[in-house]
Amino acid sequence: MTMIEIIQFSSLGEFFDMGGYAFNVWSVYALFFLFFFINLYFPLLKRKQIIREQKRRSIVNKETATEISSS
Amino acid sequence: MWLWFSKLGSPKWFYELSGRWLPWLVIPMALLLVVGIVWALLFVPPDYQQGETIRIMYIHVPFASISLAFFPLMAVAGTITLVWKMKLADMVAKVAAPLGAWFTALALMSGSIWGSDIWGTWWIWDGRLTSMLLQFFLLIGVISLRSALEDSDAAAKACAVLSIVGCINVFVIKYSVEWWNTLHQPASSFSLSDEAPNPPEVWVPLVIMIIAIYLFFAVSLILSTRNEILERERRAQWVQDLVEAQ
Amino acid sequence: MVGRAATTGQAFRATLKRDLIIAYKRKNDVVNPFMFFLIVATMFPIGISPDPDRLGEIAAGVLWISALLASLLAMDNLFRADYEDGSLEQLLLSPHPLYFLVLAKNISHWLVSGLPVVLVSPLIAYMLNLPDAAYSIIFITLLIGTPVFSLLGSIGVSLTVSLGSRGLILAVITLPMSVPVLIAGTLTVQETLNGASLGGYLAIMGAMLVGALTLAPLASAAALRISVN
Repeated sequence: MTMIEIIQFSSLGEFFDMGGYAFNVWSVYALFFLFFFINLYFPLLKRKQIIREQKRRSIVNKETATEISSS
Repeated sequence: MWLWFSKLGSPKWFYELSGRWLPWLVIPMALLLVVGIVWALLFVPPDYQQGETIRIMYIHVPFASISLAFFPLMAVAGTITLVWKMKLADMVAKVAAPLGAWFTALALMSGSIWGSDIWGTWWIWDGRLTSMLLQFFLLIGVISLRSALEDSDAAAKACAVLSIVGCINVFVIKYSVEWWNTLHQPASSFSLSDEAPNPPEVWVPLVIMIIAIYLFFAVSLILSTRNEILERERRAQWVQDLVEAQ
Repeated sequence: MVGRAATTGQAFRATLKRDLIIAYKRKNDVVNPFMFFLIVATMFPIGISPDPDRLGEIAAGVLWISALLASLLAMDNLFRADYEDGSLEQLLLSPHPLYFLVLAKNISHWLVSGLPVVLVSPLIAYMLNLPDAAYSIIFITLLIGTPVFSLLGSIGVSLTVSLGSRGLILAVITLPMSVPVLIAGTLTVQETLNGASLGGYLAIMGAMLVGALTLAPLASAAALRISVN
């Protein structure tokens, strides 16, 4: 298959070694993935927090509203 | 036109529209990212000078190029805030500053790791690195000004002014640092992306990665802006309804 | 004067005069930045090396950085007292363009805190063993460069004038913005010592000063209107 032929590395070990620059290449890609997931995960996490907080608030508001109207 | 403009300024309208857009940004982003990274790591031939470290270029160059867009973006948003008092523009400006600091930091780190082999050291006072570092400091200034001012309306306007001033300054800094650098280090032989990667098997994956990371930038900016909208508009009826529906 | 409105020129001169009189009465404002400049410049030989050759190499940079820090330190009292006693609000309410009033305050502030630093710079240059040929150049470049520091600093001060503790945030905002002037100033000294002609470098510095004079007070005025309400 042609796709396999143009792979630049002949073995997995060679791929991980990156021609002796394993640290440089892999640390940059690791930083990128870390950054990528943090930047998608934290906004989503924050969104959940905001919605949870807002729900709590609206429940409290409703309770106080009913208390006021019943009293 | 004006109707459209004021509609665009409405946080609710943006929230709904961006919700519909998001999948159309996330799917191409994921696809391009997978294709780009696999291509960059497996199929790109090693550079005749830099060997395998050329693969760092596919992360560094997109990040470095997008980092330059933050100050113009914040300056445009700031102008809109000052002139038309559009709330949405300030929300974008607010979330763009920390995001820009992160992008700039990553561009700096990946550049330093890439250069460590060519230069033999982790840091040199290269023109691009230095002006990038100064841009990072300016972004930190905008962020700390925003957090120091408590009144959010004053913070919005003050940050808008600072972003506009900063945007002009980033360009002046860029040119003056290049000038400083060429006079201090004549005929520098290690500028990173000067020798253009000519063959298509080298630049096509680069273009793919640049588009992918621009999409990633758009997605994270939109996600944070949506959060900001929910927080600031939490008293609005439509946000209450939205929360109820969750 | 009685019975007719003052012109903008008169308002400009009145603001200038008022600030100079206040500065004359509070001599600390004049002495402090000046002393700070001397002390910081003294720290460099102690911290680096008393060796005349090494000092000569870094002297221009030391002078410029000390001047930058002195200007930064002095910036804090540009609007603070006026903000606290309410006269800044009076200034904003005045019918004259705020641009000129801010410019007047900037000029008087520089005359009081920047000019003494420039005047004493040849003395420090001598103590730091800067080559003789560079005395006049450092004097001229500082004369053009320190007003730019003040003008840029005044943007930062205007943005932060309502904050309680603003020293650090002012530095974070102002220092990176001052880099182009720092580069132009030190390069002018170094390159003229290497035999380049002074004219082109002075033209660049002059352009920076003109740019700062036209744009910075506008930004400061806008920032003041935001900070004071």
